[in-house]
Amino acid sequence: MEMRDLVALGDKLLDIDEPKFRQIVDLLEQMNDHPDIQRTIAVIRPRLVELRLHRRPTLKRLFCDPFEDLFEALGKADPVPLSVIERSLMNSLWPLVEAEVGKERMRAFRPALQAGPERKALTEAFWGECAAAVTTIAQGAVAGHFSEALDLRMNPNRTRALADIAVLLSIAPEIMELKAALSPKPVPKLHGDHIEAIQTIGRRLSRARPESLRIFILLAASRLTDPSVLLSGLWDMDLGQKSTDRATLFMQLSGTVVAQIEDRSRSWQDTPASDRMAVADLALDLVASLDATRAAMEHSRNKEFDQRLKQVRNSVHTMVKTQVLQDADAGIVAAIGALEGGSEGRAQLAQAENHARALRKCATIADTLGLRGELREMTQKTTASLTEKAQQALGGPAGSTRTGYTAIRMIELIAGPAEANKIMDDIMSSGRR
Amino acid sequence: MRSLTNFAPSTFEERGAAVAFTTPVLAQTRVRKDSRDQLEVLVPNLSEGRGVYVVPWKSLPLAFPMTVHDRMLHDLIAKAEGCSPDDIRKAVLEAARCGLAGGGAVAAAEAALSDDEDQRLLINYQLIVEALKAVGLESTEILKVGLTSAEGQKLTRDLMMKAAQRLALEPKELYGRIAELALMMEAIGLASSPKPARLRRLMRDLQGFRDSMTDWATDNVSEAAPIGGFCAEVAEHTVNHARNVIGQFDQAMASFEVLLRQWETKRPQIRKASSRLSWLLDGWEYLILLWNDALTQDRYSQDMAVHDIFRVIPLLPKDEGRAEQSALADKLINSHKRSVRAYVDWRSGQLDVDLVMRIETIKGRAA
Repeated sequence: MEMRDLVALGDKLLDIDEPKFRQIVDLLEQMNDHPDIQRTIAVIRPRLVELRLHRRPTLKRLFCDPFEDLFEALGKADPVPLSVIERSLMNSLWPLVEAEVGKERMRAFRPALQAGPERKALTEAFWGECAAAVTTIAQGAVAGHFSEALDLRMNPNRTRALADIAVLLSIAPEIMELKAALSPKPVPKLHGDHIEAIQTIGRRLSRARPESLRIFILLAASRLTDPSVLLSGLWDMDLGQKSTDRATLFMQLSGTVVAQIEDRSRSWQDTPASDRMAVADLALDLVASLDATRAAMEHSRNKEFDQRLKQVRNSVHTMVKTQVLQDADAGIVAAIGALEGGSEGRAQLAQAENHARALRKCATIADTLGLRGELREMTQKTTASLTEKAQQALGGPAGSTRTGYTAIRMIELIAGPAEANKIMDDIMSSGRR
Repeated sequence: MRSLTNFAPSTFEERGAAVAFTTPVLAQTRVRKDSRDQLEVLVPNLSEGRGVYVVPWKSLPLAFPMTVHDRMLHDLIAKAEGCSPDDIRKAVLEAARCGLAGGGAVAAAEAALSDDEDQRLLINYQLIVEALKAVGLESTEILKVGLTSAEGQKLTRDLMMKAAQRLALEPKELYGRIAELALMMEAIGLASSPKPARLRRLMRDLQGFRDSMTDWATDNVSEAAPIGGFCAEVAEHTVNHARNVIGQFDQAMASFEVLLRQWETKRPQIRKASSRLSWLLDGWEYLILLWNDALTQDRYSQDMAVHDIFRVIPLLPKDEGRAEQSALADKLINSHKRSVRAYVDWRSGQLDVDLVMRIETIKGRAA
């Protein structure tokens, strides 16, 4: 197969069966680093990650090992790293690193890709030289200017990312140790052995390279399902720092976590208005992060963060109020009426079911958001209207049973099976049709 | 509570028939009759450890909070005469039609009932044709004028009279035998049928499940892989048994004249084979759909789906010659770490809305 044929396949590669996909990845790997191949790999990367394909080891891949956790998230559900490194930056950086280290030296590092007695030492030496090379390249890239060498404009994020890459490469052996302790990624909950590992490695770093501690902690956080979880553990960790340094590190991590929550809380504006469940899921996630962050910050009250978290809470409050609570009763009850309306009626009903489920989901966070009263009122109002519909349909001679049962189902989705069963029993015992 | 090995049922009746509940913890649990002819339900261990809980049918709503749909299904099964897979299927379709499990389930139940109706007509016609063919009469004329037209019905009656004469039977007796056979064959259909009947389709899908699960488990590093391999193996044995039973049917149908002449001897055999086939394939439809759904999702969901399937997989009873299946399952539980699914929302302790929704979606795909 020609290269252009492979590239032309593009996102179709996401749908072909697994054995064929593996074959094509092998073929792509055998081809060189052509930009078209890189683009195709970028398209299929989510599937590569999902299948955990063991890809051909290359020096470029080895170079990325220490900082790959900070690459931008691929899937919507993947945790977003607290300090993102763009893949495009790494792609532009690698040829410069190769040139800086020199062809001869690079060739000498090749045995690091195969198993052997000298592998560990060679790999560590490789990362060390790469760290020096990236530091030199970073010095040449002035913030705010276009970097000819990298072919990218050096915005503050990219300048920071270059510095982070250099630091992470210089502490690569410790990062590898950390990755082994915090795996498989993403880690949903911090256990004792996880905390112990972070603490031991962190203490070593704070003695040898105190400036690397911040990015080390951010990388550890990026291996968790919810990075804010690390905040609560961090305060109790003894990383061998002075108390002022500890407070500074804590503040830095808090700042990054809060900024990330703020970003996520803005994302609901992109969600289609009809998908109320997506809104409810996002609200639940945000409240969990807010709770974890707020609990962690109990130790060091900071007015600015408090204020920012309060704003996020307000934003989630508005989101739930306008997207889930508002007019819930009218929409849900109207869908029962549209039951006989063919495919359009069915779509309306599915949307109403989605809305009803979202309403029930939000019951778990209503207290935190100060929406308990409003939610209870809306639930009661909707349940009352639906009960009336169910009574008319199931209790009287003229009603349609299907409408009655659908109304009961909606009550179940909103108020739970116990309430729905009770209403159903009442209707049935007062005159079953 | 009994361990899987202790529980290992000897017969299909002892294993019970799978019930398509939408309450996650009860989904695909099995119902059977106890020694006093009372219904009881077998709930696999809630912590996904070893063993099953045996709960009297009447106490089920008290022991587990159920969805409204499940309460209705529970009532319908209690009122039904038996608890064979066919009795349970009837109740399940009736409950689904009400709309308590969502619009998808209504559409699927209506499609299934309409398919049953079509198959009933088709098998009746095919059996009449087979009867005529068996005694050397031509049936193409009926097809030309149409079986349901008055002329077609008259033609059929005349030809059937002739067929009855040649078989030395009363016409009423011949009609009776064909009607009874049609009832027994409705879900199986004939091999030559233009549209395979339900159980033949299910067997074909089970073969697909076995292949897909084998592929998935091969070279898979996941901890669920050996469990997936076991599920594929159970599917393989079930397919082999089902293939044998269908082979017996096809053989009997191939010598249709003998079947009609030796009706009294053949009837119990056909009835037994028909019931055995529905028991063999009972509970697989949901698992096949669950797996097909998981295949479109990520690896983690696939691992969880394999654990879900394993929890309720229809192991063959001892009498089917596969006594070691329960022992193997017990061994797997001991030797492999398995993910435990919480069947309730950990925040509220109430029914997990997402899980119920997933079961309902799968229900909506069954037809």
